[in-house]
Amino acid sequence: MTSTTITTPDRSSPPALGPERPVAWPKRTVLTLANGLQVVLAEARTFPKISAQLFFRSGNASVAYRSPGLAELTATVARTGTTTRPLRRIEEDLRRMGADLAASAGADTSAIGISGVADFSEGLLEMLADLARNASFPDEEFERERRQRMEGLKIQRTTPDFLATERLRRILFGEHPYAIVAPQEAQVAAFRREQLEEFYHQNFSPANALLILVGDFSAAAILDQVEKIFGAWKAPAPAPQKWPEPPRQSGRQVHLVHLPGSVQTQVLIGNLAITRRDPDWFRLVLANSIYGGAFHSRLVMNIREQKGYTYSPRSGISALREYGYFTVHAAVRNEVTAATLTEMFYEMDRMRSLPVTEQELESARSYLTGVFSLGVATQDGVLSQLSTVFLDRLPEDYLETYRARIKALTADDILAAARRHFDSANEQIVLVGDRAQIADQAALFGPVTEYDPQGNRV
Amino acid sequence: MKKLHIPVEHTKLANGLRVVAAPDHSAPVVTIGVYYQIGFRLEPRGRSGFAHLFEHMMFQGSENAGKMEHIRLINASGGLLNGTTHYDITNYFEAVPSNALERVLWLEADRMRALKVDDENLRNQRDVVKEEVRVNVMNQPYGGFPWLDLPPVAFRNWPNAHNFYGDFQDLDAATLADVKDFFRTYYSPNNAVLLMLGDLDPAEAFALAKKYFEDIPSHALPPAADVSEPPQTEERRGEVEEKFGTLPALAIGYTVPPRSSKDWYAMTILDRVLHGGRAGRIYRELVFEKQIAIETDGSLDVFDANGPTQMVTRIFYRPELSSDATVAAYDAVIREVQEKEISEDELAPVKVKFRADYYSMLEGGMGSYMPRFGLMHYLACFTLFDGDPDRVNTVLDGFMAVTPAEVQAAAKKYLVPTNRAVLARVPANHGESR
Repeated sequence: MTSTTITTPDRSSPPALGPERPVAWPKRTVLTLANGLQVVLAEARTFPKISAQLFFRSGNASVAYRSPGLAELTATVARTGTTTRPLRRIEEDLRRMGADLAASAGADTSAIGISGVADFSEGLLEMLADLARNASFPDEEFERERRQRMEGLKIQRTTPDFLATERLRRILFGEHPYAIVAPQEAQVAAFRREQLEEFYHQNFSPANALLILVGDFSAAAILDQVEKIFGAWKAPAPAPQKWPEPPRQSGRQVHLVHLPGSVQTQVLIGNLAITRRDPDWFRLVLANSIYGGAFHSRLVMNIREQKGYTYSPRSGISALREYGYFTVHAAVRNEVTAATLTEMFYEMDRMRSLPVTEQELESARSYLTGVFSLGVATQDGVLSQLSTVFLDRLPEDYLETYRARIKALTADDILAAARRHFDSANEQIVLVGDRAQIADQAALFGPVTEYDPQGNRV
Repeated sequence: MKKLHIPVEHTKLANGLRVVAAPDHSAPVVTIGVYYQIGFRLEPRGRSGFAHLFEHMMFQGSENAGKMEHIRLINASGGLLNGTTHYDITNYFEAVPSNALERVLWLEADRMRALKVDDENLRNQRDVVKEEVRVNVMNQPYGGFPWLDLPPVAFRNWPNAHNFYGDFQDLDAATLADVKDFFRTYYSPNNAVLLMLGDLDPAEAFALAKKYFEDIPSHALPPAADVSEPPQTEERRGEVEEKFGTLPALAIGYTVPPRSSKDWYAMTILDRVLHGGRAGRIYRELVFEKQIAIETDGSLDVFDANGPTQMVTRIFYRPELSSDATVAAYDAVIREVQEKEISEDELAPVKVKFRADYYSMLEGGMGSYMPRFGLMHYLACFTLFDGDPDRVNTVLDGFMAVTPAEVQAAAKKYLVPTNRAVLARVPANHGESR
């Protein structure tokens, strides 16, 4: 490597890759405290920071029937005051420890996350525990946050990708609570502070929680702090819930959300698929990567790099706890709405009809295994992978075996996965755009039902 | 707080290309970037949006890596890639497993040496860019607010004041000859820096850089353009219609003192006193206390601008309020920081947070899957604008030394009407009288 370069290098073809280096995910300490709190610790000591995420295994789905969005507002208000810390003190304590805090809820979980300077690990964990145990839900902050949420909802319902996702989830999940991604304004207006407190006390409990810590610490020392700060916390876990199954779709249907004045159409198609616990998961991940899950995928090549219909087309698998679903999306100029759908289905049907080429297979396997490994280089990357493993209750060697499992897949595996999970004949098609510009194109793909941005049929 | 020291080595090739390496063996990945010192500030007149359109063209093929080969080769090496256009720089970067380092250098050198694109590529990417503008600006609530709306109000010199994403007629007017000219003029090795970070040995990395880049010919660069602004004598105001969003919004910008001046450090800390998230004075007063704003945020891109730039506050306020009442509430916060020196008790935590944010940015900075993006970005800016990549290790000292008196002095000197612009984003259905 240190020899002088007197020869002209061969520039006509790319250099071969060097020998692959092993990827070592940080060693974890995994344990459950006597109160039921599951704790996962991973040292990552390159930067003097620490990140802590406290998850509760209850989210908006658990209240979707009676009060959609209640979990989200609960998490938001929980950070605005505790029995000993008013709002201003919380924010100032965070800044003093160089920290950021986020509190939110998705369909399956509520979470409080804190990241700050490693020297303050004890103070950060105390803050986290305080917010998880002693939130006081001050009246004034509840009213303020509720108003902010209502204004936020108004804006969300002018945002094409939000409207598309909201509609698709309604269609795919029917009576299952995953159908509801956001409340109506009137529902938020009807929330009472006591409902937030009730949700908080029922669900923010150690037996319902997972604490993940990643950062510049020694596992033994931080574990002492965790035991001291979280050990005395006692509360029962909420009772499990049982939900109806999502509907089976028969045939393609078009759901048009009319957003007047749109200069683009947000195209989103989807079908129910699988969760990470399904034996087909890795096959589907690889099939998706070749279809539309990466920059060099077929869909991106086709509708972006050849046809120029769109800037950021993509396909993906959203894996929720009980169900997963497959989606394809692109924002396109109005006049190529039908042409875009035609290409999406063409590429989907091609994936279902013919095995992928050896080169595509090899590229996609390298892509997935390489990009997966990039996560090991940052605290956030490690934390995000660990949260997937422990929230979805995947095997503990999931991170270590991921690369081998991807590398073992064949073109036949991909063909089988595409046939099973790219449900071309029954795709649900959501179009968000200006009806006058796209209604004729929409009708080419199936019976059309129209909605306004509030979700009413029109 | 533990002080972080980033090992940085740098050299310059015979053709003027600057090369920086920052080894870090904590994970078997490398992040590679090539930064050219050209951004949308200096795109040709009549060609608004061209610097960004050109950035897209750099992915369309070069002498030995045809259209899509670049993307395919990086993805197939297990990596991610992207490019972004800023005021004064355009960057191209990849994060890959470290066994792909040489391949990435081959690709970056190939397109620095010989971009190879045709009319069809240009037509295709012009369409793609128009959809990018539609999805990010024209079809989104608050699209382009305020990064596209405010500069034309705040500035008078065209380089600082035009539409950086591009008017569609200008994008349509761009030709292949423009692409070739722009490449020849600005994409010369002596106008760039190569950054190599992560699981590598600097000596080996420098040898590879030499092997692939050193015989790329360089050209004389055009003389530095005048991007200075004429003196401002009154407050500037503008208004833009908001087609989708339901809340009225304001953007208030103050022009920042010159890079690396004593006032620049103080102004940056002042920005964190005022903004700095929910503990910042503006959020506290307007959202928590007076409840005038539904949401507010602020930003100051302190390191990556090399010409006139602003500290900007965005305020989304209650629709029943007037913009005048909102500005008045904002001005009360500004007056307070001008009239009363901030306490050490307030300043010390601001500095802790500043350092913590800086470290977070170095580690990631662009999501968890582009490791050390921020470190790469700062190394590039410090090399191109300040001639000193090692400034990444020293720059914090200047901010940590800022005193309460300096913060107050900066507030008095820069947070004045003759240094600010106010842009209103007015919802189409909002009946505020003007």
